[in-house]
Amino acid sequence: MIPRLEIHVPEKMDEVLEILDSSKANCRIIGGGTDIVPGFHIESPRFAGFNKLVDINRIEELHEIRENDENIIIGAGATFSQIISDSIIAHKVPLLQKAAHGIGSKQIRNKATIAGNFVNNAPCADSVPALLVYDASLRIQCADSARVIKLEEFLEGPYETNLQPNEIVTQILIPNNSIGLAGDFYKLGRRRAVAVSRITLGLLYKIADNKFDEIRIASGAVTPIGQRFYEIENFAKGNEVSDELLRTIAIKAGKKVLDLTGLRWSTPHKLPVLQKALYNLLVKNCLK
Amino acid sequence: MTKEFEHIGKPVVRQDAYEKVTGKAKFGDDYSFPGMLYGVMVRTEASHANIVNIGYADISSDEITICDHNDIQGSKKVGAIKKDQPIFCYDKIRNSSDVVAMLVGEDERKLRKLAGKVKVELEELPVLTDSEKALDKESPLIHPEQESNLIVHYPLRKGNIEKGFKTCDHIIDQRYTTPRVEHAYIEPEVVIALPLEGRKGVKVIGSIQNPYTCRRVVASVLDYPLTKVRIIQAEMGGSFGGKDDTINVLAARAAIAALKCGKPVKIKYSREDSIRESYKRHPYVMNYKVGFNNDGKLVAMKIDITADGGAYASLSPFVTWRTVVQATGPYELENVHTDVRAVYTNNPYTGAFRGFGSPQPIFAQESLMDEIAERVGKTPIEIRRINGFGEGSVTASGQTLGQHDVNLVTVMDEAVKHSCFDAKWQQNRLEKAPDFQIDENAKTNFILEHDNFYPPESMKRKGVGLATSFRGCSLGAEGIDAAAAYMSIQQDGSVYLLSGLAENGQGLRTTFSLIAAEVLGISPEHIHYLEQDTGIVPDSGPTVASRSTLMGGGATKNAAEVLKNRLEEILVSHWNTKGKGEILFAKDEVTWTEDESRKISFNELCNLAYSKGVSLAAIGWYKGPNVDWDEETGQGAAYFTYVYGCQVAEVEVDLSTGEVYVKRVIAVHDPGTVINLLGAQGQVYGGVTQGAGFALWEEVNSYNGKIKEDNYDQYLIPTSKDINNIEAHFVEGKDIYGAWGAKSLGEPTLELTAAAIANAVKNATGIRFFNLPLNLEEILLNRKLKPTDLKRGSTN
Repeated sequence: MIPRLEIHVPEKMDEVLEILDSSKANCRIIGGGTDIVPGFHIESPRFAGFNKLVDINRIEELHEIRENDENIIIGAGATFSQIISDSIIAHKVPLLQKAAHGIGSKQIRNKATIAGNFVNNAPCADSVPALLVYDASLRIQCADSARVIKLEEFLEGPYETNLQPNEIVTQILIPNNSIGLAGDFYKLGRRRAVAVSRITLGLLYKIADNKFDEIRIASGAVTPIGQRFYEIENFAKGNEVSDELLRTIAIKAGKKVLDLTGLRWSTPHKLPVLQKALYNLLVKNCLK
Repeated sequence: MTKEFEHIGKPVVRQDAYEKVTGKAKFGDDYSFPGMLYGVMVRTEASHANIVNIGYADISSDEITICDHNDIQGSKKVGAIKKDQPIFCYDKIRNSSDVVAMLVGEDERKLRKLAGKVKVELEELPVLTDSEKALDKESPLIHPEQESNLIVHYPLRKGNIEKGFKTCDHIIDQRYTTPRVEHAYIEPEVVIALPLEGRKGVKVIGSIQNPYTCRRVVASVLDYPLTKVRIIQAEMGGSFGGKDDTINVLAARAAIAALKCGKPVKIKYSREDSIRESYKRHPYVMNYKVGFNNDGKLVAMKIDITADGGAYASLSPFVTWRTVVQATGPYELENVHTDVRAVYTNNPYTGAFRGFGSPQPIFAQESLMDEIAERVGKTPIEIRRINGFGEGSVTASGQTLGQHDVNLVTVMDEAVKHSCFDAKWQQNRLEKAPDFQIDENAKTNFILEHDNFYPPESMKRKGVGLATSFRGCSLGAEGIDAAAAYMSIQQDGSVYLLSGLAENGQGLRTTFSLIAAEVLGISPEHIHYLEQDTGIVPDSGPTVASRSTLMGGGATKNAAEVLKNRLEEILVSHWNTKGKGEILFAKDEVTWTEDESRKISFNELCNLAYSKGVSLAAIGWYKGPNVDWDEETGQGAAYFTYVYGCQVAEVEVDLSTGEVYVKRVIAVHDPGTVINLLGAQGQVYGGVTQGAGFALWEEVNSYNGKIKEDNYDQYLIPTSKDINNIEAHFVEGKDIYGAWGAKSLGEPTLELTAAAIANAVKNATGIRFFNLPLNLEEILLNRKLKPTDLKRGSTN
């Protein structure tokens, strides 16, 4: 059931910051509402204990997607539909576009925002592995200051981030040095649409002289939160790209996930499939 | 003489399409009345317990009214066959969704909070969830007033089973299981009961599949005569057999409250309420032992089936009766020994669901037919040709098939032709799949070895599979089988039509209007189909068993012919045509074959009839011929006619992940004469999709009697992206029954799909699967993986 709430719909960012500053933990930000509203209906404790919502849909600057010399800048309130149809994203951040395509349904993509996805920080958030391999950072504001933080530092645990009650994520920054790497995004769900991810994988790489000059791998839904596999990336870098190496990478990823999660009810299916899916993704992209 | 059909068999847009797509159609929850109150249920945490006391002390009684079993004047328990389901529980809790009381008041939100404050003192009992243990002596009795947990047992005996097994060349013995499945109608249950003025009784409006059954239940609970309970059907947001028992119980609760409060009372269920309290498709455990010869000929079949009926009998006795009739499939066998039992457990109760006891045995028996074919080196087509029904074949229950085209082989040939089945099946079979399944016994904790990886392209496998069925039309020996249609032609030639069967989304308003229009030779637009109201037309039985077109169509045709005859009689004297030529009704005109100048528009003719004081209103009636059944031996002419179908499924299986994608389904059905082509195609698209859901995704689990999958984030049905092309083809066999031989289609479309998909998965992977649904884990692990608690999580 939706509780009785005070809902603010400010037109200016300053107003948003002011409301957040004055109400602190009594207030939540609502973008698309695709987590909050169903959360109300199932009476999730994660969406209780506040009586105010600040709706950010009218803040124009939060919907902008643009680029400058250093970064691609994605407004935190950009919807997944907007991300899918944006030409900058299509050309320069294609994994994010592919990840956005697989999220929910058309109706959900029309409402759901990118920042909402990782601020909610479900283990299965589809944007997370894509953003992690791009080394994304976030710009966060509060009434009297602003800060920039790497996404992976921002994500602290399942459904937990280091966002403070008086703060709002305003931008996602994709550094230019991530642009131009080849890559791919993979999602396994129980069906082809409106499916919670069971496994997601983000892969960026650069091969020179048949060696991995750069490789970045991130996963979602198989670990407590989406994360990069730095040890495996470092192991692979500089190595000759061979079928044997790709198998080794996949097995190492499996071991890493097992270390992180231990044996769970879903392990007998998920863990072998993760290794096969990563191998398939690597072969399709990297093995010529 | 036969004339070309003017309307029958053409694609016609359904009559209620405009109102539905523009949002103007009124569904249950669209009705609101001044002073209306809401009813909210009080449940407990138990799945099985004795009720010691129900305490309302913590509820302030000024603003709310409490209704429980003490308010019931008539039957405290109801049920279509066994009266075992309480309106409000008073002695026992038999399932986690059981309701002990209902709080009635103005503010639904407040009522929901208060519902938790009712103190129900319970004495917990052991919970029975395993249907195979239901008949064990040590298992708890769900209904202690009954001797055992057996709801019903149907034996069928034909020939000599022992001798059959002794003389055959091969025997296969196999066990199959199917899951508990939710109907997943888009509209959850809604009813509104309105107390009528004075002693007039009560009116109930709602999403009610079977208004006459609902009336019977409400009247018995109130102890009212049937006439004082009037049921009006709102537009239905889907039913699929699912808005029968549960909605009738809700109607009774609302009626009790409305009469107690003297105000309209609405009950509207959330999705969670709906999934928890409504009945499901029966999970089946099926043991099939079959004996056959080297030439592929079936010799003997021994079948033992246990259906989990859950806490209440509902329609279990009818559902499992269809199973016993059809369990051996559309194949001739000398020796059959079948036992089908439905049993009580503390699980969610199960009842009617499109297919009605056929999708489960078809999955088993059609999987088996492919296995038999493989054993004797035949193709799936050959094995079915050798054993399949033809004209004059005798069924397992000893019924000789005739008086209609026995089109089993015809529909199969048609499906094979459209799908190029043989070539694809042979080709896929030759390409051996790599060893892809996960070895859970390996001591590597699911970390792969280097040789467990295969080239990605070798992991996508194509498969094709088919399944065939025969299906008895309408109720058969379940009970009396007759239907009515009311028709009233107005003086301007426009026509009111209403049958006693209900529009549940299947499109019968359009179907019946086309039948009436064809007889009267007028445009279907002149026919206005009325709202379903038990006060107008005679009880026509339930709208189930794919019987609407057959029975209601027959009644509509009868009503139209009665009135057409009256109109003809007027012209015979008016034009003095006695004994010469024929009077033709077509294109909104009536003409005489002997003299072209003798011509009158249909409108004018109706006006003429009115001026002559001729009644142009009639109740048409259609009664099926008698059927018979011997309960002891399972022998008899179970149904008066049958339909036949064949579906071919083409799938792609991803051996890396266990995903099965349905690339194409060719569905060939013989429903008899097709009335509305568009409606018939719609039945196929919907039925195949539901059947694919049953095959690959859908499963309601019982965790100690409780349901986890209580909304569509947890209970997965296929989306439009999960099933590619569905192609519908019809073979219109001849029959003497119904309107021009129009029979059944709704259920046959669903019952075949899972079996066809399972056979296609076998063709793709080389591995036979015995337990539906064939989800990711089933494909890779041969078992289901389930979380260990009821917590809702995103990782499921």
